[in-house]
Amino acid sequence: MIERTLNLFWILLGAAAAAYAWTLGIVGPSGPESGLFPFISALIILGAGVVLLLQRSGDAAVPDFPRGAALGRVLGVVAGLAFMAVSIPYLGFAVSGFITMIILLRAVEKSGWLFSIALAVASVAVVVGLFGHVLGMTLPRGPWGF
Amino acid sequence: MGLLSVEALGGLLTGFGVILTPENLYLCFLGSLIGTLVGVLPGVGPLAALALLLPITFTLSPVGGMVMLASIFYGAMYGGSTTSILLNIPGEAASVVTCIDGHQMAKQGRAGAALGIAAIGSFVAGTLGVIVMTFFAPAIAAVAIRFGPPENFALMVLGVVCTLFMITGSPVKGVLMMALGFLTAAIGIDVVNGRERFTFGSVNLSAGIELLAVVIGLFGLTEVLSNVEKVVKSTVVTDRIRGLWPSLADWRASWRPMLRGSGLGFVLGLVPGGGPVTASFMSYALEKRISAHPERFGKGAVEGVAGPESANNAAVAGSIIPVLSLGIPGNPVTALLLGALVIQGIQPGPLFITQRPDLFWGIVASMYVGNVFLLLLNLPLVGLWAQLLRVPYRVLFPVVLLLSMVGTYSANKNVFDLWVMLGFGIAGYVLHKLEYDLAPFVIAFVLAPLLEQSLRQSLAMSPDGAMIFVQRPGTALMLVASAVLVALMFRRKQKKSGGDL
Amino acid sequence: MKRAIAFALLAAVFATPAAAQSGDAKADLAKLKPKDFPTGPIEYTVVYPAGGGMDVTARLLAKHVEKWSGDKIVVNNRTGGAGMVGHSYLATQAKPDGYTVGVIANLMWGDAMLRAQGRWAYTDLEPIGYLNSDPLSWVGPTEGPYKDMTIKQMVQAAKDKPGTVRAATVPGSMWDYILDQVEANSGAKFLRVPFQGGGAGINALAGGNVDIAQGFYSEFRGLAEAGKVRPIGVAASERMSFLKDTPTINEALGGNEYQWIIIRFAVVPKGTPADRKAYLGAAVQAAMKDPELTAEYQKAGVYFDPKLTDASRMEASLKEYAEREREFYMKTGRLK
Repeated sequence: MIERTLNLFWILLGAAAAAYAWTLGIVGPSGPESGLFPFISALIILGAGVVLLLQRSGDAAVPDFPRGAALGRVLGVVAGLAFMAVSIPYLGFAVSGFITMIILLRAVEKSGWLFSIALAVASVAVVVGLFGHVLGMTLPRGPWGF
Repeated sequence: MGLLSVEALGGLLTGFGVILTPENLYLCFLGSLIGTLVGVLPGVGPLAALALLLPITFTLSPVGGMVMLASIFYGAMYGGSTTSILLNIPGEAASVVTCIDGHQMAKQGRAGAALGIAAIGSFVAGTLGVIVMTFFAPAIAAVAIRFGPPENFALMVLGVVCTLFMITGSPVKGVLMMALGFLTAAIGIDVVNGRERFTFGSVNLSAGIELLAVVIGLFGLTEVLSNVEKVVKSTVVTDRIRGLWPSLADWRASWRPMLRGSGLGFVLGLVPGGGPVTASFMSYALEKRISAHPERFGKGAVEGVAGPESANNAAVAGSIIPVLSLGIPGNPVTALLLGALVIQGIQPGPLFITQRPDLFWGIVASMYVGNVFLLLLNLPLVGLWAQLLRVPYRVLFPVVLLLSMVGTYSANKNVFDLWVMLGFGIAGYVLHKLEYDLAPFVIAFVLAPLLEQSLRQSLAMSPDGAMIFVQRPGTALMLVASAVLVALMFRRKQKKSGGDL
Repeated sequence: MKRAIAFALLAAVFATPAAAQSGDAKADLAKLKPKDFPTGPIEYTVVYPAGGGMDVTARLLAKHVEKWSGDKIVVNNRTGGAGMVGHSYLATQAKPDGYTVGVIANLMWGDAMLRAQGRWAYTDLEPIGYLNSDPLSWVGPTEGPYKDMTIKQMVQAAKDKPGTVRAATVPGSMWDYILDQVEANSGAKFLRVPFQGGGAGINALAGGNVDIAQGFYSEFRGLAEAGKVRPIGVAASERMSFLKDTPTINEALGGNEYQWIIIRFAVVPKGTPADRKAYLGAAVQAAMKDPELTAEYQKAGVYFDPKLTDASRMEASLKEYAEREREFYMKTGRLK
């Protein structure tokens, strides 16, 4: 099911990209234009999608996507990272990283609260110290200065 | 012109005289250490580290500063394989390929062997590279400068053909991934005419998609998501770690890939736009193609570590030659090295070797010393790193992810890259489940801009259109080689009768 | 008597030795420092990659500003889109709180007028200090059929045999514009080969892959000294002191429109508080008065435009140049 959706996605992507590339121009007076390479690539994607869709995948292994608790863990990681990306500009790296670490540590295997907080604080401190001070990189700061 | 051996040896002696002072030795060691550290950290590569540490060199002597910066550069190539092997998370773009077989080796309890081979291969390649540099730098530089867009194009075609060899599993899916890589690389500004492509008005997209974010997401994050599903595994490796040294069989299998990787990497380093990344995967493709049992690749073939890790180190030596002998940088890192020289008031160029032999030979000599330092530094660390695999995964992966986030952010200081990383991580996770090979995407993504740019430049500079590819001997040669390789590929497919396409 | 005293006082004022500068300059700068500023490092944003000409300029500047002001400066490269990403960041995203200073060039005007699509204008970045100016130069080969030709002869060759003389260019920038001008005025037709920057084109020239390249002195100096390339014209209003034997393109081809110069200056985002802006500007000025810095810049082959070194005329002169560029775009149909 997912496989088939993906193949349809390739076909749509290929078609859309090819159409866009066409508007950029394919060949011009001085040789290939901006659209040539994307156009060819898009056509290949389109063609491959069609071939895959038509292929009989009789003996192909059924992909096992996670369910239940496993899915929860995967989504937990994704959510944690998404949170970090959203919140860094507002909370600054240190706080955002700390909260994200907690999310990650709790989402996967429910590490104890005390342990999680300790590890989160330690790792964020080390990272900020290493990158911010030793390497001199400016990490985003939150409203409270760090 | 060509440097006679005697002159070169004399220069080298001068160089050692310069480098073997306590201050310079210390700086070389410090640079090696920082380089290793930077290489180990996922996402932070030599470019970021050099840019950050450049101001420190202001207070140092020119030799000291350059020695430190150069050693960070090749030091990163040593360290980069560590997280690739242990965690399937590339330390930087030039170590992506090492993930493929290196991590499999780690899962089989052979992490020590993989790390050891990577370190030794790096040493062999680095040292060989410097030896060639010592005796042949000016001659090589004279040839390298003639490399123009048609030659670049032919080389890129060769690269694409090599990538086809790397495809495991369904060829249709592999080609699709490559085409997708080409398409993704087109997002941004078309360098040939300055037009925006696929940017849809977004400033972030107009800069193009950041390679580092793609690599960390597609390999690192995908790996973490896959692992996190299963509760059963508490550590990366459940088998006992079988010894920390490569076995005799490993040595026998590795020494030739190391030599081949060194040669290939060195040549690719010379080419503008080439460098360690391209070198690493072309070496992988070469080893797979040459191997008597290519089906072992992807399942822990030590050649898949020995070749690429040697290649990326040799490429460093190769890419430094145009900088020191001509004043021409071939990639962003060497451009930075050049900038560092200019800030010190030194003008690199073809006269650099005669105007400042102390500096030229000092840097060359430091590369010998640096490679020794790095070997001595990395080999004992193998045991330490291997212990990392004992850390419970639920503790390990959040820390690694945190480091990956910082590393990715460090590329452009742009939060958008974090989203790219996340997006590619999710995509990679899904595609991996559906048996899509991810490496061809990355390689196509890296090669595409150079391929397209050099094609269009070649056609632009040729009054006779496409004939230019035939008129220039180097180009014609490489294109013929590519055609031959493609033919061989089909022949092999035919031989393997019964294999499904 | 009063007149004599007044005279004496005046004389004393004007006779104050300028050599008491060092301690005084630092003290003067410190007097301008706003309260509670800065409490952290100040970022000098460079919109081009590390190691390049702009980057080197910025780092040398930062080094000296640190010396004079005692503040910590961190140089940060925000690259991409040939400068567009960095310019957009400075104009629209950077907080105007005094902690961000852009070290940019007049190429920003092109981005603002042609590519920003109304999202920002060049006036969103306020200049606080002028650094230097770098003229574009044309370089020719030292081997091959064109090896001893002057620029006039090469243009003639491009006219006699249109589409055979290969010229390196960077699309969408002054490299293209000057070729357009030369072609329009002389009827020549060059075969344009696109590159990502001047340096790449010059390297191609040294390797015999193009016949004419364009770039800045710092980019071709090493190769020129080694005899691999030779400068044949400078797109400035008068000859450069470091290229005494190279004519200006105006001299060689006639006319006065062949002036294409990179002007490097420091800016802050609009809305930065006036006292912080003044302090940051003064810090840059103090560094620029340091003979060490000007010597290092001159080694790189730049010159100092007198209209801009005068701090009181800088902003107005920059605006004048910017508007002149706008006129050029309108005249050539790039801007409606």
